[in-house]
Amino acid sequence: MAETLHQLSLGFLHLLSAANAMALVVGLVVGMFVAVLPGLTLVMGVVLALPFTYGMSVTPSIILLTAMYLSGTYGGAFTSILFRIPGEPLDVPLLWDGYPMARQGQPALALGWTLLAAFWGGLITCVSAVVLAVPFAHFALRFDSPEYFAVVLLGLSGVVALGGASLSKALISLCIGLMLATVGVDDTYGIDRFTFHVPILKDGIEYLTVMVGAYGLGEVLSRMEQGFASPTMASGERVRTRLPRWSEVWNLRPTIARSSLIGIICGIVPGAGATVGSFVAYGIENQYGKRREALGTGIPEGIVAPQVASTATVGGHMVPLLALGIPGSGATAVILGAFLLHGVQPGPQIFQTEAQMVYTIFASMFAAVVGMCLLGYFAIKGLIRVLELPEAVTSAFVALFCFVGAYSARNSLTDLWMIVIFGVVGYLFERYRFPVAPMVLGAILGPIAETSFMTSMIAYQNEWTIFFTRPISGTFMALTILALAYPMLRHLRRAWVASRDGARRGGARKLQS
Amino acid sequence: MLERLKATWPYAALFVGAAYLFHDAGTFAAAARPGQLGPDFWPRAVLVLLMIVCGYEAVRRIVFARGVAADATVAHEAVADAAGAHGAKEVAVATEETAPRYPWRLAAGIGLTIAYVLALDVLGFFVTTALFLGLFMVAGRYYRTRVVALASVVGSLVFVFVFMKIVYVSLPLGAGPFRTFSVWLLAMLGIR
Repeated sequence: MAETLHQLSLGFLHLLSAANAMALVVGLVVGMFVAVLPGLTLVMGVVLALPFTYGMSVTPSIILLTAMYLSGTYGGAFTSILFRIPGEPLDVPLLWDGYPMARQGQPALALGWTLLAAFWGGLITCVSAVVLAVPFAHFALRFDSPEYFAVVLLGLSGVVALGGASLSKALISLCIGLMLATVGVDDTYGIDRFTFHVPILKDGIEYLTVMVGAYGLGEVLSRMEQGFASPTMASGERVRTRLPRWSEVWNLRPTIARSSLIGIICGIVPGAGATVGSFVAYGIENQYGKRREALGTGIPEGIVAPQVASTATVGGHMVPLLALGIPGSGATAVILGAFLLHGVQPGPQIFQTEAQMVYTIFASMFAAVVGMCLLGYFAIKGLIRVLELPEAVTSAFVALFCFVGAYSARNSLTDLWMIVIFGVVGYLFERYRFPVAPMVLGAILGPIAETSFMTSMIAYQNEWTIFFTRPISGTFMALTILALAYPMLRHLRRAWVASRDGARRGGARKLQS
Repeated sequence: MLERLKATWPYAALFVGAAYLFHDAGTFAAAARPGQLGPDFWPRAVLVLLMIVCGYEAVRRIVFARGVAADATVAHEAVADAAGAHGAKEVAVATEETAPRYPWRLAAGIGLTIAYVLALDVLGFFVTTALFLGLFMVAGRYYRTRVVALASVVGSLVFVFVFMKIVYVSLPLGAGPFRTFSVWLLAMLGIR
C-alpha cells in the first residue's frame, strides 16, 4: 500500500507537467460540452477526440480521454435538471427528481446535490481504481493463453448480456465484430482471409474505422433521418449552484453508500456501464430507500443515487482495462484504442513497465474529479450555451471530425471509404436496434480471442476441455455461462410471474362473477 | 404477414451472408497442419453461431410473430424497474422512439458523405470540406445562408490549420487548379 501511495504521489507530480495539465483541462471542458449537447453521446465525443491524440505522447492522450469520460458523466445533469433535456441516456433518472426539484423553485439546490454526488462518486471511483488495479494485475500475471481466452470471452459475454437490446441482437452484433477482425492476413498461417482479391482488405479492417464510423457517422445519419430534432435551450439565466447543508448530506449516507457500491460493480462488470448503473441505483432507491414513497416528487435521494452511481462506474471500467487490457464499455474501448495506437498494450505487465504512466493517469482522475466539480460550479453558465448551437451545424462538424479522424491515422483514402461503409452500418444498427458496442468490442478483442484460442489449442493438442479444467479459466467460463444464461432466466421468470398474476386475476374475476 | 416478413429480412440477409462466408472460408489457400486447427476454424465457428442466432430470430419472427416485445433484457428491465411509476415517457426521450423520420434527408446525408470521399482527391481538403459542411447544414434543415457560409469557410480553415500545422497530418491538396489553390492557401496560413 505504501508503494501504491508513493507511486500515486509521483503521479501527481508528473501531472503538473504542461502537457498533462493541459490535456486534463481540455478533456474536462470538452467532456462537459459533449455531455451537454443532446446530439453527441459520451462515447462519440471520446471517439472524435482520438485523432487529436495522434501527435501527443501516450500519457496526456489517456488523460485527455479519461477526463472527458469522467466529466461526461456529470455534464448532462445540468440540462436534465434545468431544461428537461437529458444530454445522455444515463441522465434520464435525473429528470424524475432533479427536474421537479428545479420546478419547485430550487434549481440551484438540485445542481448542488448533483455536484456533491458527482464529487463523491468520482472520489470513490478513483480510490477503488487505485486499490483494485494492482491486485487485479497481480492476479492476471498467473494467466496463460486459456485464461486469456476465457477472460476475453467473459468480457464479450458481459457486453452481450448487459449492453442493452436483445441477447440475439447483441450476439449478432458481436459475431459481426469478430468476423471483421478476421479480415486480412491470418497471423498463424500467413494467408489471406475474406479479402476477395481486394488489395485494401489485405491489411485488415482497422477497428478505428469501425469505431468512428459506427459510433460517429452512424449516429449523425440517424439524427439526420430524424430531422435533427433534439430540443434546444431557451435561456441559461437560471444556471446557479447551491450546495446542501452538511446535516442534509449526512442523512443520505445509506443512499450514497448503496449507489457507490452499485456504480463500482457496474463499472467492473463488462457491459454494464454508467447508464445501467444510474438506472439500477435509482431502482434500488425506489425499492429500499427510506423515503421511497416520495421518490419522483423532487427529493435529493432521486438525484444523488443515479449521479453517484454513474460517476462511480468510471474507475471500475479502468481496472480491467489497465490490468487485463480488456475494455468493458464503448468509451474504454476507445481509450484502449489510444493505448494501442501509441504502442502500449495494457495488461498486468503495465504496472511494472509503465508504472509512472499508470499512476499519472490515476492522479489525473483524482484531479479530474475536483476539476469537473469546479467547472460545474463556476463555468457551467458559459458551457451550457452550446445548447444554443443548431444541431445541423454541430452534426456537420461531427461528420467532418469522423472523416479527418479516420484519415489522420494512416493518411489513406481507403479508411474514408471504410468510414462511409461503417457509418451506414452504424445507422442500420441504430435503425433496427442492434447495439453497436458488441461489434466494436468484437473488432478490437477478436484478434486477442482468436490468438489465445489457437495458441491454447496448439499447446494442449486441441483439448478443448482445457478451458474448463484449469481453475481460473474454468471459473471465467462458468461466469461466462452465467452471464449469458442470466438474461434468459430473468426473462423466463418475468414471463412466469406475469402468467401467474394473470391466472390469479382470472380466478378472482370468476369468483366475483 | 407483410409485417412479419419486414421484421425478418435483416436476419434472413445476415443468414445468407454468413452462409456465403462460411463457404468462402473453405477456399482459404492453406489447409490445416497435421494435428492443428486450420485458418478457417475460428471464422467458421463464429459464422455458425451467427447463422444459429439469425435462423432462430427469423423463425421466431415469422412463425411466432414475437418481435420487439420479447427483446427486452437486463438493461431494458433496469430502465423499466427504475422508471416505475414515472412511466416510459422520459425513457422514450432517451431512445427517441417517437421521433418522425425523413428518409430523403438521410439519403442526402449518405450521398454527401460519398461525394466528400470522391471529391477529396480532386478538389482538395479545403474546398471539399467547405462545400460538404455547407451542403450538410442545408440538408439538415438549417437555412441561414450567412451562418452556413461563414461556418463552412471558417470551419474548414480551422481544420486545415489545426490538422496540418499542429497535428502534422498531410491532408489532400487536390489536382490541377485546386492543387494550386490549396498550396497558395497553405502558404497564406504559414504552413509549409
